[in-house]
Amino acid sequence: MRILGGVRIGRPRRIVVIDDEEIVRDSCTAILADGDYEVLTAEDGETGLQLVAEKGADLVFVDLKMPGKSGFEVIEGISDIDPTIVTIVITGFATVSSAVDAMKRGAYDFLPKPFTPDEFRLISRRGLERRALVLEATELRREREALRENFAAIVSHEIKSPLSAIQQNLFVLSGELADALTDDQKRRLDRMKSRIDDMLGLIRTWMRWSSADVSVIKESFAPVLLSGPIAKAIESVEPLAQRKSVYLSSEIEDPALAVIGDEGTLTEAFLNVISNAVKYSFDEGKVVVRVHQAQGKVVVSVCDNGPGIPAEDLAHVFDDFYRARGTETAGGAGLGLGLTRRIVEAHDGTITAESEIGKGSTFVITVPAAPSRDDAGRLGDESAGLGKGEA
Amino acid sequence: MSDPKKVLIIDDDPDFVEGIKAILDGADYETSVAYNSKDGWEALTHNRYDLLCLDIMMGRGAEGVMLARKIRNDAVLREMPVLIITSIREQIAFLFPGQAVHPGFVPVDELVEKPVEPKMLLEKAAALIAEAEGRHRGAE
Repeated sequence: MRILGGVRIGRPRRIVVIDDEEIVRDSCTAILADGDYEVLTAEDGETGLQLVAEKGADLVFVDLKMPGKSGFEVIEGISDIDPTIVTIVITGFATVSSAVDAMKRGAYDFLPKPFTPDEFRLISRRGLERRALVLEATELRREREALRENFAAIVSHEIKSPLSAIQQNLFVLSGELADALTDDQKRRLDRMKSRIDDMLGLIRTWMRWSSADVSVIKESFAPVLLSGPIAKAIESVEPLAQRKSVYLSSEIEDPALAVIGDEGTLTEAFLNVISNAVKYSFDEGKVVVRVHQAQGKVVVSVCDNGPGIPAEDLAHVFDDFYRARGTETAGGAGLGLGLTRRIVEAHDGTITAESEIGKGSTFVITVPAAPSRDDAGRLGDESAGLGKGEA
Repeated sequence: MSDPKKVLIIDDDPDFVEGIKAILDGADYETSVAYNSKDGWEALTHNRYDLLCLDIMMGRGAEGVMLARKIRNDAVLREMPVLIITSIREQIAFLFPGQAVHPGFVPVDELVEKPVEPKMLLEKAAALIAEAEGRHRGAE
């Protein structure tokens, strides 16, 4: 595997045996001699830890009962040196319960004495497989983190550049064809330019979002009437809903409900949740967007009667780049809900999801209502126009 | 009528180049194109241009930045106005961590963001060339 190869290629896996009994050290070395391993031994915990610290290791066998440093201390010491090193305790027949203690402290498995060569080979192989998986998982986590951090750069090159090139040529075409096109054709060309402008604007927002800290978006916070972003989000999803014959409706308790926030990213957040609901709905399904106020907060819920989300996926739907099993072909990068969560959190809000298999899912976004003179969450008449016309 | 002004475009995105080139050609500039910084440098050292339109992010990184610095260190080329056309105006801080965050992070004359409106491109180009010619006359 590429990742493992990057870490391990070019040298045999290193196994360290820390045991005070010479016969155990020697037989372990002999048993593994026919495999592609490098086996090192140490006769006490102190020496063993030094060895691991100096040379590194993939797998360490630790005798629990040794003079000097105890096996428990050695396990913890190894974890301090490198938590990805796999440790297996070797234990006398009578001390199985302490082996369990050792596993609680991070040992991967235990091997009771006496053991046969086959048992030792098998557990060594399993330990090394474990080590490979741990390294792979660490690397994947690191890559995911790097991907998230580099999102701005990726978006910049992979999406924004082609869009810019398209837009640049539309600019030129509309000039060159100014005399040849009918008014209707010109209108369509203008629509294309304006749609690409919207996308470029959205990408800029994302990039600001992922490349800088939250305070950047907070700088542009202003009172926003929620009916605006909700209407815009629904309008954008409507074509998809029509294609799938999904009935998309909204119930807004009070059109004057407002929050303090950034209209563009709020629209994006609602759009993500609503379009997900429609995307994963059955044909002829129903999606309802409800907006109401409760205890000083504005609550936006998006409810569908689709297939529902399995519990193991539900726990991860707000993670970046997470794709539920079976949805890999549904399009999207698995970023929508992660981004939505961060947008909502920047607004001091929360997003939650509930789902029941076969019944449907409900996503709930809760954001503090904008304070106002007459009534929390409602903007007074003079300011009712705020948040509009900023698209 | 004076000779047409010569503009060199250095950008690694051929589609984007076409969009820029068509606008400049339409305004009677004489345009040449290089699709990487090596060819660009080659062209700059063998020909004289009235204006350079330069992309910042080319190849495997900020090759345009290196090129701009090279140009500024050249006694002859430093007299030529440079218009940076970039898609990373807002991302400079991100892509160049720990470095000065300012549009003037390379000493260039103007910086515009992709895509650029034809009218704006032509205004910037004309203004930069006129300014350079003014400097030139003043120096004589």
